[in-house]
Amino acid sequence: MPQIEIKSANAFYDKLHVLKNIELSVDRGEIVSLIGPSGSGKSSLLKMLVGLLIPKSGDVYLNKTLVNFNNQSDLRVIREQIAIVFQQYNLFQNMNVLKNVSIAPTKIQKRNPKEVNDQALFLLEKVGLKDKLESYPDELSGGQQQRVAIARALCLNPEILLLDEITSALDPELVKEVLDSIRLLAAEGMTMLIVSHEMSFVREVSSRVVFMDDGSIIEVNNPKNIFESPKEKRTLDFVGKILKDK
Amino acid sequence: MGYTLVYTQVLEFLPYLIKGAWISLQIAILAFSGGMFFGLILATIRTFGNNISNKIVICYVTFFTNTPQLVQIYFLFFALPEFGILLSPYIAVLLGMTLNAAAYLCEIQRAGFLSIRQNELDAAKTLNFSLMQQVKYVILPHIMKVLFPPLSNHYIIMTLGTSMAAIFGVEELTGRAFNINSETFRSVEIFSITALIYIVITFIATFLLAVIGRYFFKAKIRIIQ
Ligand SMILES: Nc1ncnc2c1ncn2[C@@H]1O[C@H](COP(=O)(O)OP(=O)(O)OP(=O)(O)O)[C@@H](O)[C@H]1O
Ligand SMILES: [Mg+2]
Repeated sequence: MPQIEIKSANAFYDKLHVLKNIELSVDRGEIVSLIGPSGSGKSSLLKMLVGLLIPKSGDVYLNKTLVNFNNQSDLRVIREQIAIVFQQYNLFQNMNVLKNVSIAPTKIQKRNPKEVNDQALFLLEKVGLKDKLESYPDELSGGQQQRVAIARALCLNPEILLLDEITSALDPELVKEVLDSIRLLAAEGMTMLIVSHEMSFVREVSSRVVFMDDGSIIEVNNPKNIFESPKEKRTLDFVGKILKDK
Repeated sequence: MGYTLVYTQVLEFLPYLIKGAWISLQIAILAFSGGMFFGLILATIRTFGNNISNKIVICYVTFFTNTPQLVQIYFLFFALPEFGILLSPYIAVLLGMTLNAAAYLCEIQRAGFLSIRQNELDAAKTLNFSLMQQVKYVILPHIMKVLFPPLSNHYIIMTLGTSMAAIFGVEELTGRAFNINSETFRSVEIFSITALIYIVITFIATFLLAVIGRYFFKAKIRIIQ
């Protein structure tokens, strides 16, 4: 059963037509990767799903329910289920690491502070930041901030996780660790949409791969096909180039 | 030289000076608060307003930040009566300082608006913060931190600027120091004590502002810079 369904969605930044006729459905427990050149609209597609970019036309369904992006309570409902890790991390600069992770579960989800604290500590330890609890984002490296952002998203216990280039600032060792945690979550059945340039990871972990270019979805295929025998020439060019660069 | 410092005579006037300091403080606080409020309106117009309203605010700010404050108050005090508007010295000074402060504080607060990070607001929204929670947890702590140094600076400049009121015969701290001086001629003692009182009131104000920022808005402010 599709958990997310996007039907001919179009979105704009002022005059820039950034998402063109997007059709995509994602089943519960699926891991769908988004690949494509810089500026092709991958981040924008994720932002649309959390209501930061309102589609001008088309429909989005979450668990078979049509989402009205202009309705605050609809927005609240989708944001309760979907957590996003932003490409730029978007941490709160005036809060320390622990607070960044625990503020929403305590103040917004109104969960038990003790329980949230335990979970936050567990997650931060898992991403290797146990000794940075009191640090502020501007005292952390890019990779460390990225891991805080991952912990913050996971601490929400979301049903759907959107991950935007979560390995871009990590060194290879950490990439492995973070990707291992992602695999673990995948095994637990969390639905995920992942934007990544890490092709070997995309290939290994995804159930399907979406190739985007210039705001459109060019091809949706299984990982093996996308990398070995894509249907579209544009996919072949992109994949060929990115694999050659490696 | 042959000048011996004798503070005892001047110390008798201390209560009189402190009452004057209280008036200085009143003018500074009222003008600063009024300027903050009026400046906030101007900054809002400047940030979100249309072309015409923007230009009007720009003219206002340019005028008040490029002419001497003293001339502005002279205008209110001496020129307005020509149009049938008579202001007492106290009101003329207070009004002049408020209008002047509004121009500067508009610019300072606008810089605060512009420094709000859209990234953090995006995160707050997707975490389901309400508008009030965004203001409380994200916007205010950030703005307070950015605005604290320039605001407290300007407040101090204004407190010291209240001494201009003496020219118009308002009996605030400087005016009273001047009065005692013409009575006793102990200039060194009088004006050194007066200077000290100014330091005390500016320091108290900075401290209070920092405490407010730190504990009410959870802003990371260093109290001793
Ligand atoms: N807030 C914005 N305002 C205006 N234009 C934007 C904004 N964000 C993105 N764009 C534009 O929308 C297009 C798609 O951007 P998007 O960030 O979705 O690309 P992307 O596929 O994520 O790229 P990258 O791989 O570099 O992250 C780009 O042309 C970009 O310049
Ligand atoms: Mg992107």
